[in-house]
Amino acid sequence: MQLFLQVLVNGILAGGILAVVALGFSLVWGIMNIINLAHGSFLMLGAYLSYVLFTSFGLDPFLSVPVAFVVMFVVGFLIQKYVINFVVRAPILTTFLLTFGLSLLLVNLALLVFHGDSKAVTPAYEGSNFSIGPVTIAYTKLWTLLVALAITGVMQAWLTRSKLGRAIRATSMDIGAAQMSGVRVANVYAIVFGLGAGLAGASGVLVGLNEPLNPTMGDAYIIKAFVVCVLGGLGSVQGALVGGLVFGVISALGSQYIGSGLPDAVALVVLLVVLVVRPTGIMGKAAA
Amino acid sequence: MAIRTTTTASKRATGLGGITGSPLALGIVAGLLVLALGVPLLHNGYYENLVRSILMYAAMALGWNIIGGYGGYVSFGNVVFFGLGAYTSAVLAQSGVDNVWLAMPLAIVVAATFAVVLGIPILRLRGHYFGIATLGIALAVQEIVANVDAIGGGTGVTLRQAAWYSQYYYAMWLVCAGSLLVTWLVARSKFGYALVAIRENEDAAAVLGINATFFKVAAWAISGTMAAAAGAVFAFATGFIDPPSAFSVDNNVFPIVMVLLGGIGTVAGPVVGAILLTAINETLWSHFPQIHTLFFGAVIVVVVLFLPRGLLHLQQQRGGVRGFLDSLSAYRV
Repeated sequence: MQLFLQVLVNGILAGGILAVVALGFSLVWGIMNIINLAHGSFLMLGAYLSYVLFTSFGLDPFLSVPVAFVVMFVVGFLIQKYVINFVVRAPILTTFLLTFGLSLLLVNLALLVFHGDSKAVTPAYEGSNFSIGPVTIAYTKLWTLLVALAITGVMQAWLTRSKLGRAIRATSMDIGAAQMSGVRVANVYAIVFGLGAGLAGASGVLVGLNEPLNPTMGDAYIIKAFVVCVLGGLGSVQGALVGGLVFGVISALGSQYIGSGLPDAVALVVLLVVLVVRPTGIMGKAAA
Repeated sequence: MAIRTTTTASKRATGLGGITGSPLALGIVAGLLVLALGVPLLHNGYYENLVRSILMYAAMALGWNIIGGYGGYVSFGNVVFFGLGAYTSAVLAQSGVDNVWLAMPLAIVVAATFAVVLGIPILRLRGHYFGIATLGIALAVQEIVANVDAIGGGTGVTLRQAAWYSQYYYAMWLVCAGSLLVTWLVARSKFGYALVAIRENEDAAAVLGINATFFKVAAWAISGTMAAAAGAVFAFATGFIDPPSAFSVDNNVFPIVMVLLGGIGTVAGPVVGAILLTAINETLWSHFPQIHTLFFGAVIVVVVLFLPRGLLHLQQQRGGVRGFLDSLSAYRV
């Protein structure tokens, strides 16, 4: 029972990060119908950015979350505006392969600059923890979860209340009607992709606090982000949050009780079961 | 979803003379294939390995083209069949049967069974869902294989090679020629037209009485057998197999890019793409070994942006350079 509780808490703590990883992925997919296979490499770049800021300037990793968001937003904005926008309406294979090519480029650039060996971001408070009854919680993991919750909260408020947020949601509902109402779709697309990349970068900082850094660290997160989106329901902030937490718990239980060598296999089984049983996701509405 | 393909775009996708593609390109490819039979007579190990590698990728590209090009179901995990084929050879070799000619048909049976069993639930998914589900299958099967110690686990299996090494070249040639022949037969048959109908509009195809599930599963099985046969030969030809080499990302994505480069949904296109991309890759590899994957990423981006439908579709292009430039912005927002 004690072990079960600890595994459950670990799952929830990991699920918060997964929610932020999946949030950017979900926005880009839901609004532009792009499966962004470069999402994992954006995450990796965010993690390395915080590593560089920490080792060169001693900047606390939690403070580099907003820095990574802004830097990766700009990168994503430019990529969408000057590359992906040219083929965004093509059949899915095109954007699939294009983002895969971008991911190869970014990962191999990172390999050239940072080399293949693992690095770690180790602030002084790393490793300190506290206990509630039988359950031990590391401070970094708790703060990671709180930051993740804050990011999803801000995104939800911004998407529903701001003018730009409404323009984004209008574009995802009906691109033609949005255009007629004066929304500049090409710019909205660039902003959405920038947001996706920014969120990936911010989540990368959080991931980098909890696991070693290497240029291919992001690859595993693409399939996870996809599963979280499907699990929670596509294109909604709450969906990403609920999906992330549920998937975090399932993964933690799976690797404890089934086998720690099979994380992708567990993810795939979850994915298939959800797709067959409830294709709209936990939070999703039935298709019109 | 609010994104619609424009009418010009869908016309471009279907406006071909038949669905086999250019007869000239097919003739050239068939001629090259006959010439390739003579390569082992040169007694040059480098050329033999290089051409065998082209034949292997051509077979895998032809396989991907059946489900992805004709059927319109973008599989991002066909490497799973290649890996299953390779491991069929490995298991045979472990039990003392070092015979590639026996491994090939067995790999075909294994792949077809796997495709049918998994295809029935998986092929209900459309678009991105199918793509990621197949990617997930490839990752999951690689992980499972790496955790089964009886077949080498993470350390891999060494296969004893026969004294007559060129037999692996001829075996790969047979796999490639067979794949080309099957693709040609599919493209000329009702089966091929049913697949194209499913690609263009699955619901309309179903209304016309096409049993979409049957054709999709059959297409995926055929697609898988081509990759599996290539994998079975590859395992013997290299003499060593481990999960990363059998399920490598390269073997997953190269065939897709080759199909795109050569001409998607044509018979000869995948082979043309395999020849060109292997040549590009070989050149990059020998001149820039450090950054060759980086260049490969750039090649993918350039192909997708400038040749979204492949070289063989260029001849349908009207209006010269101007028409080509206009066609590039067909999908722009």
